[in-house]
Amino acid sequence: MAPLLELSDVTVRFGGLTAVDQVSFRVEAGEICALIGPNGAGKSTLFNAIAGNAPIQSGRVLFRGDEIQQMTPHAISARGVRRTFQNGGLFGHLTVLENVLVGLHTKVDSGFFGVLAGARKSHRTEAGATRQARGLLALMELEHVADALATELSGGQQRMVEIVRALATDPPLLLLDEPAVGLAPPMRARLGDIIRRLAKERSVGIVLIEHAIELVMSISDRVVVLNYGRKVADAPPAEVRADRNVLEAYLGHG
Amino acid sequence: MSGAARHAPVTAGARAASKLGRLFWLVPLLLLPVPLFLDQYQQYVANLVLVYVPVGVGFNVVVGNLGLLAFSNVAFFGIGAYTSGILMLKLGLPWWATVFPAGVMGGIAGSAASVPALRGVRLFYLAIMTLAFGELMRWVYIRWEPLTGGSFGMAVPTPSAFGWSLDAESHKFYAFLVLATAVIALTNRLLRSRFGRAFMAIRGNEEAAAAMGIPTDRYILLGFAWGGFAVGIAGSMYAALVGHLSPPSFDLSELILEFAIVMVGGLGSLLGSVVGAIVLTAAPEFFRDFPGFEELVFGVLIVAVILFLPRGLASLLARAHPALRDRYYRE
Amino acid sequence: MLALLPQLIVSGIATGMLYALVALSMTVGYRATTVVNFGHGDLVMIGGYACFVLGVNLGLPFAPAFSIAAALLFAIGFLIQRLLMQPIIAGPHLSLAMMALAVGYAFRGAARLEWGNDILKLPHPYPTATFFVGGVVFTMDDLVISGFVLLLLLVLFLLFNATPIGKVIQAVFQSQRGAALVGINVRAFHGVMWGAGAALGAAGGVLLALIVPLTPDIGVWTLVRGFAAMTLGGFGSLPGAVIGGMILGIAEKVLGFYVSTVFIDITAYLVTILVLLIRPKGLFGQQATIRI
Repeated sequence: MAPLLELSDVTVRFGGLTAVDQVSFRVEAGEICALIGPNGAGKSTLFNAIAGNAPIQSGRVLFRGDEIQQMTPHAISARGVRRTFQNGGLFGHLTVLENVLVGLHTKVDSGFFGVLAGARKSHRTEAGATRQARGLLALMELEHVADALATELSGGQQRMVEIVRALATDPPLLLLDEPAVGLAPPMRARLGDIIRRLAKERSVGIVLIEHAIELVMSISDRVVVLNYGRKVADAPPAEVRADRNVLEAYLGHG
Repeated sequence: MSGAARHAPVTAGARAASKLGRLFWLVPLLLLPVPLFLDQYQQYVANLVLVYVPVGVGFNVVVGNLGLLAFSNVAFFGIGAYTSGILMLKLGLPWWATVFPAGVMGGIAGSAASVPALRGVRLFYLAIMTLAFGELMRWVYIRWEPLTGGSFGMAVPTPSAFGWSLDAESHKFYAFLVLATAVIALTNRLLRSRFGRAFMAIRGNEEAAAAMGIPTDRYILLGFAWGGFAVGIAGSMYAALVGHLSPPSFDLSELILEFAIVMVGGLGSLLGSVVGAIVLTAAPEFFRDFPGFEELVFGVLIVAVILFLPRGLASLLARAHPALRDRYYRE
Repeated sequence: MLALLPQLIVSGIATGMLYALVALSMTVGYRATTVVNFGHGDLVMIGGYACFVLGVNLGLPFAPAFSIAAALLFAIGFLIQRLLMQPIIAGPHLSLAMMALAVGYAFRGAARLEWGNDILKLPHPYPTATFFVGGVVFTMDDLVISGFVLLLLLVLFLLFNATPIGKVIQAVFQSQRGAALVGINVRAFHGVMWGAGAALGAAGGVLLALIVPLTPDIGVWTLVRGFAAMTLGGFGSLPGAVIGGMILGIAEKVLGFYVSTVFIDITAYLVTILVLLIRPKGLFGQQATIRI
């Protein structure tokens, strides 16, 4: 069976700069794959390439065996690839609940004319979606902030809401862009716990970019290391820790 | 819980707002006896307010909810008005039959105006381009004489609805009240649905919106089309109200008035659009006799609002009464 | 038919020079602050009126009237940027656009209050004359306007490239952060550039008032053409603004004759719409669209 996500010699160039250089790796369902490397190594670019936000010069990205490198971001998202953003991807003008409801957008079945007509079906769909959204927030113990504006929450809470939002449609693949940034250690531990449970209990495939090395090492099944756009290591945490090339990459950058 | 279960609002504010929502239909009913208390001129002003409510509502959808700098609103207004007038004059249709076509033409114009936005044009470039579009339309009204009467304008035949003459201002009031209420109700349903949320998502962070599976292109087109539709209908109301259409009515000054309405009311707030229309439509009437004064006052007013009340009157209302907290008023 | 082409180009050049000046004046402020002044057209109009008041009502000779008008508009542009735009600089773009538009609108109202819809003509400080050279007619207006704008461009060019002040301006245009690091007061710079843009706009307004009747509504006309020229030349490009203006002026005349007179009015609108749709960066500009 095809792996959940497969990158095959993916190359991304911006002008004269090669941000991602022939990177290949695989992620299976239920696997947690961490993407680490010094600043500027190309991790975020790679994420953007997978999610369709950055054009790929050559190489292929396969999701469940289908090529997605030419698809638009919303089409890729609709297929089951969800992501969070490094710099707060929450919608500032909406409440927490509404943010999660946007996450559910593709599952909320109301048609345009049904909405205008105030049809029963639209109301029911909306009510159902709202219940579902509240339920998801409750799982993360965030129900009490459901009606607050997204910008009124603390950084840690916002991070959590983003994850809830990304999970709303039960995506098979989740891309987390530095989910632990700005979180205090206890919250980090909780985050790690949530991520592990997602992968092991729900078979969600997870790729995460993270600088918090202890978090990465404690929860990942595999670690992919990038340096100057190239893959430098691809192995379980213990092996990567001992890998010479990896040490050089980090030490070289200071 | 009943079959058509609405979710139970959690906070006091949300509960109150939900109750208030059900009271909405009471408002037009309460307004029915208004013509009994107004003289001819006051009635005209009240009718003008009702014309500008859908203008504000439609404009706010694009500029407030979608958050796109589209300066083409006046074009939709003019296209709606002229469509109505032309259909009445050239095809002899009664006014009420021209309302929907006017809306449709506005919607089509809105879709056309969304093209640059779909191509990725944003911010000032979009503003300039849509401004050019609006001016181009005004030039069309002036030049396409056989159709629009050119610079001298077009006299619109007496409006009527289902055989009932709307010559009297009070009669127009009822027709306009129905239309304005319909536009508000429909737009409200749209904004409270996944479509409205998608609009706000696009405004907040387009990339993230696309990452949620929202086809941003389609929704931008939808928002523009809806805005154009609402404003087109307002245009047909305008044609019935003033009886004579001429190109100067649809120039940049008109655009500034419409901006004032949504800014004073509150960007992205449906309630704000209504409030803004009420507050600002009556105002120019006071300056009728002092050319230049109106422009000066409006200009200063907008400057003051941007500096001191950037979130519009809706934000004041929301602060005063949590029940009136219209979620979408924040910039 | 083609025999008329030189004539069309010549008259096109004069208008083109005017457009070039307006576009240049708008670009200066934009380059400095990346905020477009939607009220700029009205400032141009005020420049024309200011010169009229100084020259006709106060009886000053042309040169001082002109200079004082320019200085006055410099102050106005500076104050608008510092007092009205700077406080909201971090806010939504719509507010920035509306603020500028509203200020211009207020000026228009003030002008209309003062002069009603009287049509004023600025008296020429030079004799009206026409010259017939090589089969082409040149009017004194054409020569004065073209000559003045060329001279102004030359002065600005020298100022920009050959003086210390010019070097400073270039540096700030290139990198505001770098400039701030070396101690340049970037905020004051913003105000000064808007002032300079307004002053140049005033010059344009005066020239404009020499050839068309001065009314409070010429601001919109000017704004649209300024935008068209900037779009064509590429937003933010100073030479682009000048070249865009020239091309626009000539295109209006040529298309207006060979294709249809409608093009005299609508070329500006069409240019704006088509360029932004087909090649948003214009001739010399930078990226103007986003990709999702």
